[in-house]
Amino acid sequence: MPLMGKKNFRYLNKRITRLDAVDKVTGRAVYAADVEFPGMIYGGCLRSPYAHANIVRMDTSKAKAIPGVRAVLTADDVAKPTSWADYPYLCSGTVRYVGETVAIVAADTLDLVQDALRAIEVDYEELEGVYTIEEAIKDDAIQIRAHGVGLKDGVPNKDVKGNIFYDSYFPIRKGDVGKGFAEADIIVEREYKTNFVEHSYIETESCVVMQDPVDGVVTAHASAQNPFFTRRYLADASGAPFNKCRVVQRMLGGSFGGKEELVGMIVGRSAMLCLATGKPVKMVMTREESFMESPKRHPFHFHYKAGLKKDGTIVAWEGSQIDNSGAYNNQTQFMNCRAAIHSAGAYDIPHVKTDTYGVYTNNIHGGAFRGYSSPQIIFAQEQFMNEIAKELGMDDVELRRKNILVQGDLTATGQELVEETITLEMIDHMVEATDYYKKKEAYAKTKNNKEKRKGIALVSCYRGCGYGAETPDAGAAMCTANEDGSILINSGLAENGQGLKTAYAQIAAEGIGCTPDRINFVGVDTHSIPDSGMTVASRGTVMGAQSMRKASLELGAMLKDTAGKMLGVDPEYVDIKDNEYFISCKEVNQERIVRGAASLEIIPVDENGHFLNEQGKQCSIHDTVSMADVCNTRLWTGKSLAAFNWSEPRDLGLDHHTGQGDAFPTYSYGVVVAEVEVDMETGFVDVLKVTSGHDVGTCVNPDTVEGQIYGGIAMGQGLGVTEEVPVHKGQLGSKNFDSYIFPTAMDVPEMEAIIFECEDKEGTYGAKSLGEPATEAVGAAIAAAIADAKGEPVREIPCNLERALLGRTLK
Amino acid sequence: MTLNMVVNRKPVSVEIEPYARLLDVLRTQLKLTGAKEGCGIGECGACTVILDGETVDSCITLAASCEGKSIETIEGISDGDQLHPVQQAFVEHNAMQCGFCIPGLVLSGKNILDKYPEADRERIVEAISGNLCRCTGYKQVVDAIEDAKDKIDE
Amino acid sequence: MIRFDYRRPTSIEACLELLDLYQDKAKLIAGGTDLMVELRADDEKLEHVNMVIDTTHMAALKFIEVEEDVLHLGPGITHEEIWENPFLQEYAPFLCEACHSVGSPQIRHAGTIGGSIGTASPASDPLPPLVALGATVVLASVNGTREVLLEELLLKPYITDIKANEMILSIDFPLLNPEAGFGFVKLGRRKALAISRMNVATYVELDETGKAVDVRIVPGSCMPTAVRISEAEAMLLGQVPSYELHQAIGEKVAEEMIKVTGRRWSTPYKEPVIASLVKRALNQATGVKDDD
Ligand code: FES
Ligand code: FES
Repeated sequence: MPLMGKKNFRYLNKRITRLDAVDKVTGRAVYAADVEFPGMIYGGCLRSPYAHANIVRMDTSKAKAIPGVRAVLTADDVAKPTSWADYPYLCSGTVRYVGETVAIVAADTLDLVQDALRAIEVDYEELEGVYTIEEAIKDDAIQIRAHGVGLKDGVPNKDVKGNIFYDSYFPIRKGDVGKGFAEADIIVEREYKTNFVEHSYIETESCVVMQDPVDGVVTAHASAQNPFFTRRYLADASGAPFNKCRVVQRMLGGSFGGKEELVGMIVGRSAMLCLATGKPVKMVMTREESFMESPKRHPFHFHYKAGLKKDGTIVAWEGSQIDNSGAYNNQTQFMNCRAAIHSAGAYDIPHVKTDTYGVYTNNIHGGAFRGYSSPQIIFAQEQFMNEIAKELGMDDVELRRKNILVQGDLTATGQELVEETITLEMIDHMVEATDYYKKKEAYAKTKNNKEKRKGIALVSCYRGCGYGAETPDAGAAMCTANEDGSILINSGLAENGQGLKTAYAQIAAEGIGCTPDRINFVGVDTHSIPDSGMTVASRGTVMGAQSMRKASLELGAMLKDTAGKMLGVDPEYVDIKDNEYFISCKEVNQERIVRGAASLEIIPVDENGHFLNEQGKQCSIHDTVSMADVCNTRLWTGKSLAAFNWSEPRDLGLDHHTGQGDAFPTYSYGVVVAEVEVDMETGFVDVLKVTSGHDVGTCVNPDTVEGQIYGGIAMGQGLGVTEEVPVHKGQLGSKNFDSYIFPTAMDVPEMEAIIFECEDKEGTYGAKSLGEPATEAVGAAIAAAIADAKGEPVREIPCNLERALLGRTLK
Repeated sequence: MTLNMVVNRKPVSVEIEPYARLLDVLRTQLKLTGAKEGCGIGECGACTVILDGETVDSCITLAASCEGKSIETIEGISDGDQLHPVQQAFVEHNAMQCGFCIPGLVLSGKNILDKYPEADRERIVEAISGNLCRCTGYKQVVDAIEDAKDKIDE
Repeated sequence: MIRFDYRRPTSIEACLELLDLYQDKAKLIAGGTDLMVELRADDEKLEHVNMVIDTTHMAALKFIEVEEDVLHLGPGITHEEIWENPFLQEYAPFLCEACHSVGSPQIRHAGTIGGSIGTASPASDPLPPLVALGATVVLASVNGTREVLLEELLLKPYITDIKANEMILSIDFPLLNPEAGFGFVKLGRRKALAISRMNVATYVELDETGKAVDVRIVPGSCMPTAVRISEAEAMLLGQVPSYELHQAIGEKVAEEMIKVTGRRWSTPYKEPVIASLVKRALNQATGVKDDD
C-alpha cells in the first residue's frame, strides 16, 4: 500500500517543529490587532441596515463636530469609492446588502468612534430585493446589477438582461450526452442545496495603516491572507503607486480563503482615513462586522442527471450548478472554473454536459472558502452517487470502484491522467482500515431503533492541484545565506496558519542540506519579494514551493562549490551533515578519493587520510568545514550568497467555451469514511468517527499534514451538521459564535488520518495539495452517513437538528 | 477610577474607565496582547485568562470587578525562556496552526492540570470546551495537554 | 457598548441604598456573563442604565447552607461551585447537571445562580430544576425583604418581578428526598457552548409499591418561563412509571406548550422533540430504560 514513509528524504517526511511554535504558545506572536504605533487613532464603519435601498440623505455634521473625531468620510469625499474588485469601500447611492458601508470615521479613541458613528444621520428609501437563487433567475426578477445577464435556452446569454454574473459561467461539453443517455439503461435525476457558511477564523479582520511622512510610503500591517492582493486595494484607495504601497503580513489568525475582500476593504478605508488625518489608523472588525462583510461559502443549487448501465457504469452526466454570489463579486468567475472542471465528480464518464454560473442577489458576497466550491459539489455528487446506487440496488462503494478515475482515464475536461493515480488502492485500503463492511452490517441492526441509529458512509473525491487553468501558477522565492551560516528564506506566498513557513523551511533545508533550525522565514512584506499570486488553492506546497525548491538547490550548490574548494575536492564529493561539509568518499575505497566525475581521477591518500590537492596543499578526508566558514568565505571572496527563483508553470490550455483540455498539472485524491449516530427523536447528529485518507504525493511534515486533516474534519463536520448563516431577505440570522455553531472539543469525532504517497512529477518533491482536500469530502461523508442511519437521503446541508428530524428546512 | 490587581504575580495599578473590559485593560493598557478578542461575547475563549485560579473570558469580565484579584495571562506562565510544561507539550506536538486560539487553550490546559493533576482525557476535553479553535480539530491540542500531565508529574 | 459608572458597595445595606438611589438606571453585576454581553450589544432593555453596582466580591452572597431541611443558596454562588458541591450533588443532582451544562468552563467559573435568575432567559438551564425544587427567592430592598416563589417571579422571557431597587439575598428550597429520582435532559446544537434548544428537569418520588407520589416536570425553552406542567405531572401521580406512560406524558407537555404558545413556525420540530425529551427526563428520574 502506498502509505507514507517509503520515500527517502533528509528533511521532508519528518515531524519538524513549526517555526512559529514558541511565539504562538507564549503569546508573543504579533497579530495585526496587536500592532500599535505612536499617535495611532482608530477607524470604524457605518453600515446599512437594509439589504437594498437608496440613500436619500446623509448628514455627518454632528459626527464631525465631536471633539476628538478627526475624519468622517462618505463616498462624496473620496476619489474612488468603489474598489478595483467591484466591492465598494463606500456606498455611492444604492446599498445592495445589509452591512454595506456608507460612511467611515476616524477618532482618537474607540469610544469616540462609536459616538461618531451614532451621530451620523442617514435616511434610506427601501427597495425591493432579490435574495435567493430561485428569485434571481426568474424572468421577471428585478435586476440588481447593471451588467447582469439572463438565461436563453437554459444557459446564460449576454443578449438578455438579468441577475446572472456572466463571467462566472463555465460550460463543460464532453462527448455527446444525448447519445450517452440513449445508451443508458437507467436515468437518475436529483437536486441538492447548500447554504451560506462562515469561515469563522477566530481572529477578525484587522489592520493598521500608516504613512511615512518622509518618503510617503503607505504601509498596511494587516491580517492579509494574500498581501499582494491587499496591496492592490491599498494602492487603489490611497492613489499611491505600487512602489509606495507596502503590505506587511502579520501573524494571521486563520483565513481559509476569507481574508481577502474584507481585509482589502478595511485596508483601503484605513488608508483613506490615514491620508485624511495624517495619523496611523487601526481598524479591527467586531465579530458581527466580520459576519456582515466577510465573504461566505457560496450557497449552491445542484441539479444532476446521470445515465447508467445496469452494471453501474455511468455513461452520461448532465447538470447545472448555480451559486449565490451576493451583491458584489470578484471571486465567482474564478471559483466556478474549478466548480465546472469538477462538476462530474471523480468519475470516468464519456459524455458530460454541465453548466455552472453565479447569480447576483442582495446578500453578502460568496467568496473563497477552503475548497473553493468543492465541499458543496462533493456533498451533492456523493449523495447523488449513493442515490444512484440505491436505484440500481448496488453497493455504493462498488459503484464508486466501478467508475472512479484511474491512471490513463479522461477527466470531465478530457484531460488524461498521466500521473500515478492510486484511487482504487485507496478505496480498498480505507474499506479495510475502517472495517467498513462489518460496521455497515452492525449499524444496519440499529435501523429499527426508535431513538438512536448509526450509519456509515464512504465517499471519494479528487482535486486539481494549484491554480490550474484558473490563472497562471507562478511564484518567487529567495534564499539568502548569512556569514554565520544561518539562512533567510522569503517567498511571495504567505503563512496562513497552515504551516507554510515550516514546510518551506523543510523544502529549503532539503535543497541546501542544512538543518531546518538554521532557517528563518521572513513574513511576507510586499517590499521584499515580487508578487507571487495568492496563497490559495492549496498551492503553497505543490506549486508555490517549486521556486523555493529551485532557489534552495541553487544556493545549496553554491555553498557546496565553496566547500569543495575549501576541502580540496570537487563539489560533487562534498556532502553536508549537521551543517558541516565533509568529503564524501564512503562508497569508494577508504585509501583513495575520487575527484572529477568525467576523469575518475584517483588521488592517493595516506594511512592518515591525507592527500594533496591541486594547489599542493595538504588535505585530509577527515577535514570538515562548517556552513558558517563556507558562507564567510563566500562573503569575503565576493561570491553571491543568495539565490532567487521565479518558477513558471507549464502551459495547460483549457478551452473555456467547451471546458475541454488540461485543467490542472495534477490531481490529488481523497477517500473519507464517516460514522454517525442520529438521534431520531431530536435530530441530534453525533459524529462518532471520521477516517480521512489522502494522497498527498509527498508528505512534507506529518504533524502539519495530520493537523490539516484533523482541522479539516472538524470544519467538514460543521459544514455537514451545524454551520449555516441563515439569511432572511438579506438579514443575517447569525452574527456571532453564540448562534453560529461549529464544533467544540467535545463535539469533534474520533479522528484518524491516513496519509498516502505516490510518485508524481508535477509538484514540489512530488507533493500535492492538502489544505483543501482535508476538508472537502468530510461534510459529504457525514451527510451520507446520516442518510445511511436514517434510511433517507440528505439533500440539503447543514443537516441540523430540524433537517435531520423532519427531513426538510424549518421555515 | 484606579484598579489595583496582581497580574502575573506583580501588583499593578492602572487608571481605567468604569466600563472597561478586563481584556482591553490587559491588551491596551498593560500591553499584554497574548489574550485575543475573537467574539467579545464569551463564546470563543480566545481572551481566556486565569482569575483567582479559575479560567474566565476576559472580554466579558468587568475590569473594575477585578479589584484586589490575581490574574494570570499567557505571558506569565513561562519562566523566562523556560516554557511551562503545557506550552512545551504544545510545541512538541505541533499542536497549533494559526495560533490565535492557542494562548487561551494553553491557559485552559494549564488550569485543569493545576486543579486536577490526574485529569483524564475526558476532563481535559471538557476543560477546553470553552476555547473554540477553527484550525486544529483539537486532537493534537488534547494530546499535548495529556502529555504535559506526565511532564508536570516528573 | 453602553457606558456606565460603577460602584462597589461593601455591604448589602450599602448596595440596597445605591439601588434605591439609582432605581432602573442601575444594574447589579455578579459574574457579568450575561450583563456584559447585553451591555456590549446596546440591549434596549438596558437603555436607561448608566450605573453598574458590583456584587462580585460580596462574601455575604456566597453561601450554601442547610437549615431545618431548607437549603439556602447564595445568589453569588457560581455554576461551577454548584456543580462541584457534594451536598447539592446528593440533594439536587439535576441542578448540578444543569449548572454543569451552562456555556463553557469559563462561563461557569464566573456566572452566578443569582445572575441566571436575574436574566430569566427562557433557555436557561438552572431555572427548570430550581422551579422543580420549588425554590423561593428572598428579595431585599431598603424597605425590607420579601419572599417570592421562583415560578411566580419569572414573568416573561427575560422579565422578572424583581423590582428596580431589589436584590436577591438568597434562593431557598426545601430538601427533597435524595433517594427519589432526578432527571435533567438538555438538547443543544452542540455539546458545549450550547444554548438549550430545549431542556427538561424532572423529579419523581415513588412509594414503596412503586407508584409515584411526587412528580415535578419543568420544561425549558418551551413555555415563556420555566413552569411546572401540572396536567402532565398528574398523569404519573399514583402510577407506576413506564416507557409508554412517559411518552404519553411527554405528548401532554407538548400539547400544553402549544396551548400556551400557539402553533408557530418552529412547532413542527418542537412538538415531537419536547415530548421525547420529557420522556427521557422521566426515564432518567425513574430508571426506566431509553430505547437504544
Ligand atoms: S473574545 Fe472573549 S470569549 Fe471570545
Ligand atoms: S490554531 Fe487557529 S484557531 Fe486554533
